Amino acid sequence: MKVDPFFSERQQRAIHVLFAIVAALLVTALLYPMRAYLELAIIVLVYFLPVGLSAARWGMIPGIVSAIASFLLINYFFIPPYARFAVHQLQDLVVLLGFLVLSVSVSRLVGRMREGLAVAQARENETARLYELSVSLSRLAGEAEIVSSLERFTVETFLAGRVEVLPHNDAAPTSQAATDSRAGEPPPVLVASMQGSQRLLGEIRIWRGKPLSSAEERLLRAFATQGAQGLERVQLASAQARAKVLEESDRMKTSLLSSVSHELRTPLATIKAAVSSLNSNEVTLDSAARADLLQAIEEETDRLNQLVGNLLSMSRIEAGALKLQQRWNELAEIAASAVRKARAASHSHSISMDIPEELPLVWVDDVLMEQVFVNLIDNSRKYSPEGTSILIKARKRPERMWVQVSNAGPAVSEADLEQIFEKFHRVTAADQITGTGLGLSICKGIVLAHQGQIWAENLERGFAIEFTLPTDIEGKIPRIPDE
Amino acid sequence: MKTAAHILVIDDEPQILRALRTILTAREFRVSTAGTGEQGLALAAAEQPDLIILDLSLPDMDGVEVCRNLREWTQTPVVVLSVRDSEQDKVRALDIGADDYLTKPFSIDELLARIRVALRHSAPAPARQKTVVRAGPLEIDLVNLAVRRHGEEVKLTATEFRLLAYLAANAGRVLTHRSILAHVWDPADADHVEYLRVFIRQLRKKLEEDPEQPQYILNEPGVGYRFIADE
Repeated sequence: MKVDPFFSERQQRAIHVLFAIVAALLVTALLYPMRAYLELAIIVLVYFLPVGLSAARWGMIPGIVSAIASFLLINYFFIPPYARFAVHQLQDLVVLLGFLVLSVSVSRLVGRMREGLAVAQARENETARLYELSVSLSRLAGEAEIVSSLERFTVETFLAGRVEVLPHNDAAPTSQAATDSRAGEPPPVLVASMQGSQRLLGEIRIWRGKPLSSAEERLLRAFATQGAQGLERVQLASAQARAKVLEESDRMKTSLLSSVSHELRTPLATIKAAVSSLNSNEVTLDSAARADLLQAIEEETDRLNQLVGNLLSMSRIEAGALKLQQRWNELAEIAASAVRKARAASHSHSISMDIPEELPLVWVDDVLMEQVFVNLIDNSRKYSPEGTSILIKARKRPERMWVQVSNAGPAVSEADLEQIFEKFHRVTAADQITGTGLGLSICKGIVLAHQGQIWAENLERGFAIEFTLPTDIEGKIPRIPDE
Repeated sequence: MKTAAHILVIDDEPQILRALRTILTAREFRVSTAGTGEQGLALAAAEQPDLIILDLSLPDMDGVEVCRNLREWTQTPVVVLSVRDSEQDKVRALDIGADDYLTKPFSIDELLARIRVALRHSAPAPARQKTVVRAGPLEIDLVNLAVRRHGEEVKLTATEFRLLAYLAANAGRVLTHRSILAHVWDPADADHVEYLRVFIRQLRKKLEEDPEQPQYILNEPGVGYRFIADE
């Protein structure tokens, strides 16, 4: 930010002195034609006018200059011998010298008063600016906002050419190298450090044509203190927020660990038992029993694999590290490969698809979308009676694709409809249903990453998870060759 | 397999090496193992195996680099092993010449199927050149450019046929989206998966019993397509 005053301070002072002389000249011009009728005392009285005015309006120096100018003008034009700087009568001399002494004193007095007034006004201004700054800073919640607001205030208040507020982001002050890197540009006229209660929080650098007065310096330091307080408050708030998140994630981890270790142990226990009995010399197993055990081992291994996969996906979603490999896909094809996998794993439910052939292609990550279907089928299996059917339905809706995976499971309470997508949330008691309660939250993570929406719904008969995917993504249109 | 094929397994996990050595030896393969990429490359050069099973996460070098290095001097089939969630690595390996992939953990049936297909495709030309590929009711005549379903000719457009022929000629092997697009359309179109989706749908409608639950043209999410023919 840059502010250019029209005249420099020095020029302004010279102009004021000139005005003071002009004022005295004006009075002279006014009185001169009447000098024959006026007594010297009256003339001298009238000359107090430009002196007093100059002192009151432009300060002591113009006042004194005006006094001296008036003194000379009176002598030259109004005291015989005229048109000469000389006085013949003692009486005139006394009047003239009396005028000089009085008018200079008046100038000094009025000038001082004026200065005192200016200081008082400046103080009031200072307080007002400081108050405005503190109010403005207290409303801000971000470090960047505080920095820019402080910069703006400083520029406006000090009419500075340039102001930089440099927050120190770590305990160490900014290195000298950073300052030196901009060699060649003039050094700031003042650097006010922002000292927090614990450490140095940053500094304000100000560039301006003329150096700061001591009052201005004091005000700038007050600004710096305000800035430091603002920064400290923001940093404290963010540290608190971080602590809260950490605490939350700690609780989450504990809950995850207990859930996961339980979930990992169950299949491991089955596998261990099956393998050790197959390995044992003491037990003889008929071939049906062996086949049964082997089947159990394979199923439990797949379960473990799925569990580990879900954990991995969850941690990716949590860490925001889910990278979508989006490409044009056919929803039916993705659903079909999920169904194929589900059928290979178990025949407990019949799974069918109702996806019209003419649906447009969708811009999705097919691997992740398949995981959504796999998890939804898996979830349907857990919560609906064996032998019932699971239906995957998709329809084109305006600007989005709507998908529903429904099952014959029992209705879920209103509260649970929302909660169901939370991590580790299970509708039924933990012991009855296996799983970490991660499946649906992974689905949610993936659908949201695709800018879609997902929700749960009780149907007339059964229960469904539904989700939508946007079909118009940044105006992308699949390019289809004619042949 | 008639003569014992020689398989080189490159994987840094001793348990996997031990299991694969036991299982493959039991299936009458000759097995060598290497624990690092460098060792694997040295063994591949020294022993000239018939097939290489390569884990993509190796301690000393990127598995994809090992694959690229191998392809500089040998056409020995390479089956890459990877973990879930690393589709891109798989696809990269496949695009620079790996023959197929398996996601850990895999079943031995899957592994043997991959090995079988890869060895068949690397067999000397006369044995490999199948002119007619059969898959259930389908008969794809690669020489006379004809497709029959239950003995009846199916009308395909030129592009549809090129696509089907490419899939069928590589029956059993996964083909990446890029490879299919570059081969059937143009290398410049290698990113236009939408072409593929549309034409695969048309092909399935004409060829599959139930286009919704395809049995011959299978989709591998994130990777590509695999045509399943009769063995």
